[in-house]
Amino acid sequence: MSWLATIGRFAGFCFDLARANALRRPPPGRTMEEAYRIGVQSLPVLLLISVFVGTNLSLQGYAAFTPLGGQRLVGMFVALAGVRELAPIIAATMVAAKAGTEMASQIAVMRTREQVDALEVMAINPLWWLVTPRFLAIVLVMPALTVVAIFTTIASSWLVATAQLGLNGTEFLDFVRTSIDAKDLVACELKGMLFGVVICLVSCFCGFTSTKGPEGVGQATNSAVVIASVSCVTLNFLLSQVLYG
Amino acid sequence: MADRIDEDAPPIELRGVSKRFPTSGGGSLVVLDDVSLTMPRGQTTAVIGPSGTGKSVLLKHIVGLLRPDAGEVRVFGVDMARASEAMVYKVRRRIGMLFQDGALFDSLSTGDNIAFPLDRHRPELSARQKRERVEQVLEMVELPGLYDRPTAALSGGQRKRVGLARAIVTEPEVVLFDEPNSGLDPMTSDAIDQLIVTMKEKLHVTFVVISHDIVGTLNVADRICMLYGGKVVASGTTAEVTHSDHPMVRRFLGRNVVLPEPGAPGVATLPRIG
Repeated sequence: MSWLATIGRFAGFCFDLARANALRRPPPGRTMEEAYRIGVQSLPVLLLISVFVGTNLSLQGYAAFTPLGGQRLVGMFVALAGVRELAPIIAATMVAAKAGTEMASQIAVMRTREQVDALEVMAINPLWWLVTPRFLAIVLVMPALTVVAIFTTIASSWLVATAQLGLNGTEFLDFVRTSIDAKDLVACELKGMLFGVVICLVSCFCGFTSTKGPEGVGQATNSAVVIASVSCVTLNFLLSQVLYG
Repeated sequence: MADRIDEDAPPIELRGVSKRFPTSGGGSLVVLDDVSLTMPRGQTTAVIGPSGTGKSVLLKHIVGLLRPDAGEVRVFGVDMARASEAMVYKVRRRIGMLFQDGALFDSLSTGDNIAFPLDRHRPELSARQKRERVEQVLEMVELPGLYDRPTAALSGGQRKRVGLARAIVTEPEVVLFDEPNSGLDPMTSDAIDQLIVTMKEKLHVTFVVISHDIVGTLNVADRICMLYGGKVVASGTTAEVTHSDHPMVRRFLGRNVVLPEPGAPGVATLPRIG
């Protein structure tokens, strides 16, 4: 039953966050600072993973379709699997691994060192001060990172398809273009934004509810990445059901 | 009237406050048991007692970080457990607190840490006025010229002083000290005690000091409250408590402390022994 209690506490946390921000401006200047940090931190690893996901999509698509004589369909395969599904989830897991863990550990350390209590005593709502800028920043940054993941995946798969597998590059891009439309891109952006919301809320919740001391910081960091990643993958399935099911 | 500041009320008043925490075995641990206490305006009240007797828990009740299971904690007449969040924050703006390790923000410089509450609550001050105010309190805590120093480069004693500077920078009416001497060597500890006495003389505000350092406490306190097992076992002026016949008080104060005469001024200067 402890998971039920945790869900209840999480709901309370979200309610308190909403209440802390009611009719109030976010802390000045901190949102862009956080957005820069989340974006810059996550970008290198996101680029790297997206490149290799793209290359492997081309290789697997080619291997699957060649026996059927449909190697020209690799572009379509990359568009459907890579753009609709993998790019948003790659962006989400990378941000959860980099920015999410940092949010959880920073807040957990602040709790351990009584800095969260110090904010309270200085009459500053810690949820407003610590969570709101991160929340706004991740909502701003996630769609941009998702776009980066989409284009990197397509670019790297195109490179492998043309340079290694000998496919026609123009035809590849035509298949990509005809397989996805503006609705898919909007859906991707929406997914990215929702994943960002989940990552931020879960990570900050884990930080705020951590037990004090090094063990608590470690547990909070670990829980944040595991719960955020699992939640994003599950949410991705539900969203795909609604959008494409 | 839980939601209104009463300027005539004592700054801090606890009435029948009890608090228990659940234990891992499914039971509960009583940390505060029917504690009643009044901390008069402009005086330094020290709350003493062995470790684990609820001193820090009591302090957290005063600032509203914890809510009592029974009884009430009134700060400037406001019931901290039942008042609205806006009122609790209004009361907290009148309070400064020195945390055990200073609770300084690692990402900010020393000066920015001290300026932090000014930035939030004194928007009418210009950047120059804030800087001047910060430099003024840095001098008060005897750390002039440290505005730009990273907090990571501060020693334990310096962190406490910077924490104290941050606590007083907004000119609060009540300043709370959570174990100001913990983790410090005797010389630094004495320097912090002396700083508290000097601050008291300069600021004329209400101080509450949580400590288990007897000599330091006797140096700074006008009044002492001793907690043991979650209960108040002695409370009164420094001279009254140090002459209490309560066995726990006698045991806690030890035999080596030179006690002030009954009726003597609250602030006593005592030699550190051992």
